[in-house]
Amino acid sequence: MSPLGRILLVEDDPKDVELTLIALAEYNLANEVVVTRDGAEALDYLYCRGSFTTRTNENPAVLLLDLKLPKVDGLEVLQQIKSDENLRMIPVVVLTSSHEERDMVASYRLGVNAYVVKPVDFHEFVNAIKELGIFWAVINEPPPGSVRRNALG
Amino acid sequence: VAGSDAVEKPDMSSRRVTSVLLGYALAVVSVAIALGLALLAQSQALHKVEFPLFLMAVAVTVWHAGPVPGVLAVALSGLSFNYHFTQPLYTLYIEPVDRPVFVVFVLFAFVIASFSSRRRRIEQELRQARDELETEVAERTQQASLLNLTHDTIFVRDMNDGITYWNRGAQELYGWTAEEAMGQRSHDLLQTVFPMPIDEIRSELLRAGRWEGELDKTNADGTQVVVASRWSLRRDEQERPVAILETNNDITERKRAEREIRTLNEDLEKRTTELEATNKELEAFAYSVSHDLRAPLRHMVGYTELLQKNASSILDEKSRRFMAMILESAKRMGNLIDDLLAFSRIGRAETRKTMVHLELLVKEAVHEVRPETEGRNIAWTIGALPAVYGDRSMLRLALVNLISNAVKFTRTQAQTEIEIGCTDGQEGEAVLFIRDNGVGFDMKYGNKLFGVFQRLHATETFEGTGIGLATVQRIVHRHGGRVWAEGLVGRGATFYVSVPTLSRSTV
Repeated sequence: MSPLGRILLVEDDPKDVELTLIALAEYNLANEVVVTRDGAEALDYLYCRGSFTTRTNENPAVLLLDLKLPKVDGLEVLQQIKSDENLRMIPVVVLTSSHEERDMVASYRLGVNAYVVKPVDFHEFVNAIKELGIFWAVINEPPPGSVRRNALG
Repeated sequence: VAGSDAVEKPDMSSRRVTSVLLGYALAVVSVAIALGLALLAQSQALHKVEFPLFLMAVAVTVWHAGPVPGVLAVALSGLSFNYHFTQPLYTLYIEPVDRPVFVVFVLFAFVIASFSSRRRRIEQELRQARDELETEVAERTQQASLLNLTHDTIFVRDMNDGITYWNRGAQELYGWTAEEAMGQRSHDLLQTVFPMPIDEIRSELLRAGRWEGELDKTNADGTQVVVASRWSLRRDEQERPVAILETNNDITERKRAEREIRTLNEDLEKRTTELEATNKELEAFAYSVSHDLRAPLRHMVGYTELLQKNASSILDEKSRRFMAMILESAKRMGNLIDDLLAFSRIGRAETRKTMVHLELLVKEAVHEVRPETEGRNIAWTIGALPAVYGDRSMLRLALVNLISNAVKFTRTQAQTEIEIGCTDGQEGEAVLFIRDNGVGFDMKYGNKLFGVFQRLHATETFEGTGIGLATVQRIVHRHGGRVWAEGLVGRGATFYVSVPTLSRSTV
């Protein structure tokens, strides 16, 4: 089995978290998922501060980012990551409910790597998550300094 | 004395003897008359009158004919006097004893001549001065009447603001006649309201020689007028200010119109601000809808599908159908939200207009609906289409909706025919039509076709949210075009869309 990269999921809605984790689990991609519930927590994780001071200092292989988040919203997180020398190489996938063009334009302007609108249909959602997970956590060669472990099972 | 009357007679007092010949003739005639009178007097035994008579003739000649004929008169008088009245009579010989008399006569004649010529010169000068004065008066009168010709308001006031001239325009504007206005203090008469202290205006006037500004004044009938006022300072030879010429133009109407425009503009600005606020609210609303309304739906669908997967083995047929219904409704709701959001975006989005080639756009739209045409037997007829002026992506969406409709509502036909072409419209617009041989519609309900959520078919026959044609209409309206349809139940439908072919400033 090829090594899996660690996925950082930034999502405030617990149901979305659960459904995403289920979708990832269907394809055995959920073993290395870190969930943060708002933008501030995500940044804490990335900068190893707050409750994450003790974690090993490695970047995730991919970051799945919701846009509408409490405290610090997704676009701010994205901007912070892409303007930081150490974090800018982390692939960021925006995963959002909205079809809003301005969000998409803003995300690409900030240097997002992919922009995915969550489909209402769960099948499609599972497929999207699967493809995202497989591409970013398995196929894509992450930048140096990222976590990649052998998948279990 | 009687002689002088006779001499004056020949109508010479009024007429100037200007001709030289007439002057000499006068000399001869007057001396002849004097001689005649003297001889008459002598025959009547009146003595010593001849001398003054001849002097009188000389005087008359000089007076009327000038010095040169005067000399002739002196010479003739001397000769006549010598011939007729001095010893020896009837000779031109002058006795030594009489010579002083002749000398005195000649001297006296010259004195008269010199006085007379001087008087003539003075008279000449006076006449000239009078003529000049008359010309000037005529000129001034003409100028004053010229100023009266204009309807512009002009008046002159002295340095104490007393009105010294008031033209017809002033009378027309302010209602005071020249007689009423003359001598009045202009600012009191017109209740002038100045935009700044009068002292500042005065010092500006004295410094620059002129002043311009807008003044509020009051007419004789009490109405208010606003005038554009120009003041010019007049100075005398010593550079002392003596008068102010004030020209006023009535701008009351213009000011009123300006005020009106300002008010309208302010209203418009307010409305625009309100509209912008509403638009922002709407945008925030739509944004929130697209985020927050879709999430619970996604969860409903997600968990239902999971339930279906995990529990379908222990559920009966009925319960499985219920779950299928939940999924179907949730998906339909998702489609509704998406369509509504797309519809609202068209209302909010800026149109970016360029020349758009309809032929190319139709091909793209047909390509886009290809997934819906799979397994169908469709004969497409696409005619030559013009270029129009519009927003490419919006027009594309409208075409996709119309073509997708044509594909959808012909589903029941074994052989589907869809024709897309162009027909004659008004100048400056292209009319595109999309004709199908589908189920058609009853023209009775034609007005409901383009309403939001309006549907003419049951959902189970033809799926849809009822927003597609409303979107088409909104797009076409945003282009300043029209959209309409013709149809017959069971005999197909034709949708027409008119779009401007030239850039129009109205949209």
